[in-house]
Amino acid sequence: MNAPSICGLYIHLPFCKQKCNYCDFVSYAGKEELIDEYVDSLIAELQTLRTTFDTQLATIFFGGGTPTLLKPLHFEKILNAIRAKYNENWAAVAEISVEANPGTVNTKNLRTLRKLGINRISLGAQTFNNHHLKTLGRIHNAKQIRQAMEAARIAGFNNINLDLIFALPGQTLDEWKADLKQALALKPEHLSLYNLQIEEGTKFQVQRAKLPPLPTNETEAQMYAYAMKTLKAAGYHHYEISNFAKSGFECQHNITYWKNGNYLGVGAAASSHVSGNRFDNPRTIEEYLKWVKADGVKEKSEYLSRKNQPNQGETIFMGLRLLAGLEKEKFAGCEEAIKELTALGLLKQPSRRIKLTRKGLFLANEVFRRFV
Amino acid sequence: MLKLSHVMSENSIQQIRNFSIIAHIDHGKSTLADRLLEFTGTISKREMKDQVLDTMDLERERGITIKAQAIRMEYKGYTLNLIDTPGHVDFSYEVSRSLAACEGALLLVDASQGIEAQTLANYNLALNHHLKIIPIINKIDLPGADVQRAKEELMHTLGFAENEILLASAKEGLGIAEILEAVIERVPPPAGEAAKPLQALIFDSHFDIFRGVIVYIRIVNGALRKGDQIIFLGTGKEFEALEIGTLNLDLIPRDSLSTGEVGYLIANIKNIADAHVGDTLTTLKNGSTTPLPGYKKIKPMVYCGFYPINGEEYELLKEALEKLQLNDAALFFEPETSTALGFGFRCGFLGLLHLEITQQRLTREFNLGLIATTPNVIYQINLANKKTMMIDNPTKFPDFSQIESIAEPYFKVSIFTPAEYVGAIMTLATEKRGIYVNTEYIDQQRAMITYEMPLSEVIIEFHDLLKSVSRGYASMDYEPIGYRVSDLVRLDIVINHEPVDALSFIVHRDRAHYFGKKMCERLVEEIPMQMFTIPIQAAIGGKIIARETIKAKRKDVLSKCYGGDVTRKKKLLEKQKEGKKKMKLIGKVEIPQEAFLAVLRINQ
Repeated sequence: MNAPSICGLYIHLPFCKQKCNYCDFVSYAGKEELIDEYVDSLIAELQTLRTTFDTQLATIFFGGGTPTLLKPLHFEKILNAIRAKYNENWAAVAEISVEANPGTVNTKNLRTLRKLGINRISLGAQTFNNHHLKTLGRIHNAKQIRQAMEAARIAGFNNINLDLIFALPGQTLDEWKADLKQALALKPEHLSLYNLQIEEGTKFQVQRAKLPPLPTNETEAQMYAYAMKTLKAAGYHHYEISNFAKSGFECQHNITYWKNGNYLGVGAAASSHVSGNRFDNPRTIEEYLKWVKADGVKEKSEYLSRKNQPNQGETIFMGLRLLAGLEKEKFAGCEEAIKELTALGLLKQPSRRIKLTRKGLFLANEVFRRFV
Repeated sequence: MLKLSHVMSENSIQQIRNFSIIAHIDHGKSTLADRLLEFTGTISKREMKDQVLDTMDLERERGITIKAQAIRMEYKGYTLNLIDTPGHVDFSYEVSRSLAACEGALLLVDASQGIEAQTLANYNLALNHHLKIIPIINKIDLPGADVQRAKEELMHTLGFAENEILLASAKEGLGIAEILEAVIERVPPPAGEAAKPLQALIFDSHFDIFRGVIVYIRIVNGALRKGDQIIFLGTGKEFEALEIGTLNLDLIPRDSLSTGEVGYLIANIKNIADAHVGDTLTTLKNGSTTPLPGYKKIKPMVYCGFYPINGEEYELLKEALEKLQLNDAALFFEPETSTALGFGFRCGFLGLLHLEITQQRLTREFNLGLIATTPNVIYQINLANKKTMMIDNPTKFPDFSQIESIAEPYFKVSIFTPAEYVGAIMTLATEKRGIYVNTEYIDQQRAMITYEMPLSEVIIEFHDLLKSVSRGYASMDYEPIGYRVSDLVRLDIVINHEPVDALSFIVHRDRAHYFGKKMCERLVEEIPMQMFTIPIQAAIGGKIIARETIKAKRKDVLSKCYGGDVTRKKKLLEKQKEGKKKMKLIGKVEIPQEAFLAVLRINQ
């Protein structure tokens, strides 16, 4: 069987101590008693998928939720299953990431994770301002971010990302500058900077009228511009709209997404993309457990094995997120749009690749909308 | 032989009762109609979708009966024709024609609300048609019901005797038998003469795509037979009565309809304008030469422009308007051109509700992307050269230097309110240029305030504001009282240095600055940020009186987008893209539909 090659594996761990006010991800608080059964289902799903996808994985990403709510033993079981079924040669896996909440880690559990082969950690710092952390509904404080960072270093992690969110309710430009300063002081290898978006169905959306006012569009732009300037000066490479890294520390797993490549996702609500086929697992934990039991994974394998081409619009709007842009050939048939967007100063084509201009980075949706 | 048939119809006419239900909006008219149909076995409970008589979705949604219909019930040997009436003041002419087809009316009053503005208006209308009025207090089962107070209002305000008043809960099916008994006992049988030439009143009509116009008629005198050659006296159009019959749940064909009966006529009529509501139908041979009284051609009171967002949909819009007109003789439209919006139609309506309903139907039923421009009334322009012109569109105003004066339609507005809101309502009416006439207290708690107001002020958010200052308790009714000269100017709106004619409107000179400023502020909120700065100005005769600026959009980017987000984010982008398509490009500015009605929400 000529199976498509899979680059990345995403494992969704939808457990949280409490739901953050801005979060619209699939995650649930107070369902920890389901973790054991859930991990068994993940392994079952991985094993079934393996019968169709005979491939070596290049990257693995544990996302959440709060993955670090699981015990190291759970990680061990999952990783052992992958090792047994997919990768005879563990060294071929270049990157194994785990997301972590600063309130849930310590040197001991991080050291165990590191020993299991996890080599990249992404800390959801969000902000160093305790007042804003509270507004966001985070369970940690600024001190815990520093402690988590220190613990990760001691545990042997030399590839650490910090997530920050800007344009928080009531946040000033100066507060954002302070956040960046404190983040840089911790010398992470990688930084993800997200402009807060109030998503539907979140507590923030419901309480919107009661929240302090959000920064204006103008201030958001200033915050982003300031971050670009500051991070560049600090030696970070701006490689994706929201992502910055020291050279060589770009997140390989995420780059697969932006290149619209092949990846498998396992667990509740996890998305897979193989040969142009997209598949989303059942959203809730309970539905997911039932689905695995009912042999839903077989259908998923069949669905993902269909011969298809990646969707051009998706390839373009994901690809343009990378500052390196994407090959001109990928835009076949979109010449008119490129001409217009170039005239508007949003796209540029310095070589055989088409990329966002600086203005385009700020107004990327104007570009994306043309291709969907 | 002839004599015998004459006697038969004389007999049966005594068994006919034609009646309407009249009420203020939401007092339970449609529910009562449902119960009557159920109780008389005209329709079984199982068949009963709630409120059978309101067939259009929009009607059900908004709780308003837009088009009247009729239904025949058989009960204890009597034929009871219930003729439904539209429940909104915009359609008062249609109400009056429906009432003209009846001998009696059930006046329905909500036990917790008591008498309201339209209760009075409808009562007066019924009285003018010499109908026997049966007062009913409805919703007596509801917790807020105050039957005694409602009774006293009916007695003191409308002069009913206590023993005339019936109590009911249409929802619970209480008092239905008593109502039917009262209809039989109190409403007189039709008074027409079978021996006279045919006179039939058109009280409604309806376009059916398979059968053409279905005309709803009441035989006032004489009889109509299948195959008769007929003529409409108002329009002079002639047809053959291909099918006639009665209006049961379905149309039931008959060979003839005799004096006093209510039924339908199908005569291969293609255009609803040929069968005007209120017109008189008679036979071509030996017919009547006198039309029944009360017929008038309906004139639109409120005008606005409808433009397709996508210019290519012009023909579709035209077809859609034609289709709506098939069923809506009151809808007027003609092509017009706007510098800003291109080709569209100037449309005339009975009132603002009629406008809104039409706009929603075009959007929903025909899936058209539509821009409606600011509604306006018809202005009478008195020119310096002593000529007079009537103008239905602000952009058609002549140069103001040629104008000696401008007159606008005034309405008598009757506002019915709990006494505690009288002060707030008077303040509002004065702001709206109302001229105070008087206040009458119905009792200690309720008052009727009368104002004379320019229609242009009534149509622009007056009703919403009235509801808001009275916590929803005040109700209103209005009727035209003629044209009066006012000091009016045209306010023009300039967006990104381009005048947008579709946003021009007429306003009193004293309020022009306020409106100009508010309008600019409103547009700043309605028009989304774009990639460049957009100045918005208000001007009178080329002189700028207000200005606001929409700042250039500096940032618009999906911040977080990973493998699990692709589908969702793509949908979001697609939705935004669709949203953009629904905006009108004027110059290089994308303007959403809502902005064109900004003036309607100037104080929100």
